[in-house]
Amino acid sequence: MSVFMDLNLSFTAERSRLRSLIETAAHLGFSTVAINYVHEPTTKKKQEVPTPTPINELIDQLPIVQGRSRPIRVLNRLTVVMSESSYFRPADPAYRSFDLLAISPATEKLFHAACMSYDIDIICVPVTEKLPFTLKRAPVNGAVDRGVVFEVSYSAAIRDSTMRRYTIANANSLMESCKGKGVILSSAAEKALELRGPYDLTNLGLLFGLSDKDAKEAVSSTCRSVLLHAESRRTANGIIYTTKSCSDSSCQQEAPDSELCDAPAAKRLRPPPRVTDS
Amino acid sequence: MSVDLDQTPRSLLISERSSFLDEKSRISSQVEQQHFNYKVSVLLPECGPTPSHLDSVLNSFSSFYLIRQLPIYELLDKHFLETAVYQGSVYGLSYRTRVDEENCVALMPNGRLCLSLDKDSFQVLGVEGKPSRFNHRANSRYVVSVDLTDSSMAPGGRGYLRLLTGLRSRLHLKTDFVLSHHPGGGASLQSLLSRHDWSEHRPEISHHALTNLSCPALPTSDLQSCDPHSFLEWLGAMDADVSCENSSSSFLSSLVCPEPKTTLSRALSVSVCGLLLPQDIHRLIQELRCYLEQPRLESWASLTVHGFVDSPVSWGGGEHGVLRGGENLYTLLMFHDHTYHLHLATGAHDTCPP
Repeated sequence: MSVFMDLNLSFTAERSRLRSLIETAAHLGFSTVAINYVHEPTTKKKQEVPTPTPINELIDQLPIVQGRSRPIRVLNRLTVVMSESSYFRPADPAYRSFDLLAISPATEKLFHAACMSYDIDIICVPVTEKLPFTLKRAPVNGAVDRGVVFEVSYSAAIRDSTMRRYTIANANSLMESCKGKGVILSSAAEKALELRGPYDLTNLGLLFGLSDKDAKEAVSSTCRSVLLHAESRRTANGIIYTTKSCSDSSCQQEAPDSELCDAPAAKRLRPPPRVTDS
Repeated sequence: MSVDLDQTPRSLLISERSSFLDEKSRISSQVEQQHFNYKVSVLLPECGPTPSHLDSVLNSFSSFYLIRQLPIYELLDKHFLETAVYQGSVYGLSYRTRVDEENCVALMPNGRLCLSLDKDSFQVLGVEGKPSRFNHRANSRYVVSVDLTDSSMAPGGRGYLRLLTGLRSRLHLKTDFVLSHHPGGGASLQSLLSRHDWSEHRPEISHHALTNLSCPALPTSDLQSCDPHSFLEWLGAMDADVSCENSSSSFLSSLVCPEPKTTLSRALSVSVCGLLLPQDIHRLIQELRCYLEQPRLESWASLTVHGFVDSPVSWGGGEHGVLRGGENLYTLLMFHDHTYHLHLATGAHDTCPP
């Protein structure tokens, strides 16, 4: 198993509230959290993709995780709420400053496209309403094969009892299709009180239809594989990634450890053999 | 798909009945095999102040040492091996590491060093190891177990050098470490301690006097008065000072004392916490047997020993993990005629106790 992670903490402009969220998560035992910036483009007006605030501006001293001796790790995540396919623009450079990319599809066609072809890490399963489409086994398995995970958030269930029914019902139908693989549990917490500890989430996973071990993986190992998938998504072929250096001009090329990426090493292309007439 | 909420987390409870006077009784080996003990709690019914002999035994438990940020390759230091590991027994465990989240290290008294590593650390270390028994679907945890007293791990040997270079230059494993040595105490560990930030600790003893409590009737060991599960639940409630009255006005606890029950006017609960050695626990058991030999109002006493939740090994070097709870404990219920009931309990990810 790996460390416990909560990959969905809602971003708020209030610094103190966000700070208390991160401190509560560290106190509960989460070693990694991701601050979620939701981008909901509409046809009416053009909206800019939000830029993530650097972590050191949000909180000076990252709190130590309870029971361990390391500070909590904070990442940035972007969730695009899609009601039309043109809203997701993977080539947008603003997407590159986020560590994780997630999509919340609204229609069946978008869900199918997100599972099979879009270059993302997480697909959010709607929990606040009745499922607008059925989760068929084919796209769900396609997504799991690609390494894309499905996310079920639970803080709506804490806030309201009708949402609780929708959350449990939608999560159960997801588990029927995916058999418990490729699922992560996260809060979509806006306040520190809406966070729950990792072992409590393991118990909650049982209500959603996961087995004991699957539920524990949903809070730890599957989240770790999402992070690795996100890192390799940002590289080329899983070997090289480019970063813009602090100075104005060019990009530098760096090769990270290839252990981080699950993709095999790409073979070098050999030049085609020259054909000579004789 | 309906959710089966009746399923409780898997746990294992083994109950045994025997007598101290029986030569086939395995109690001493069972106590010996639980190397890493965190807490011992004793419950003495109808007892007022702590008996002086018991107090002196508790106060004579060995102290243990905490080293902050010990690089684990230091445990392979030649001088440390010669002075501490080869003579006597060293009990060492990584502290403030979680066995289901990160890397844990245990040094057992028979010279076995056990590393429970996650996948990345295992692949970086580059030493032979086995996947954990409690992996689900994909292998995410590996166990490396080496016998430091074996000839292949003698300092300078190939296996030794491979592990040393792995820990020193590739993996850089550093954790807080609690350490104890029997029979040498701190003197044999000095060479290791002096090089790092260390502190000595005494086991913490706490006394708690309980009054007017109901308790299951346990006249002799032959009568099957109540089943082990309910008895252990009651015992845990006593240790945690949870009321078993189940009054209608209280919503905090609905635990009840198992029937048939009697009332005790008072009881004494003593607990000791720290890195406790099995030898000290043996002495405590002998002391409790002497205490029970004298005629008393209630002729039984119970002793519960909890193992560390985050230890990579439990009984006899068997692998231990945490699924939802990592309990590995045993309860010894002793009677005045030298008979006892022993209950060994573990959680889901654990090997069967002996």
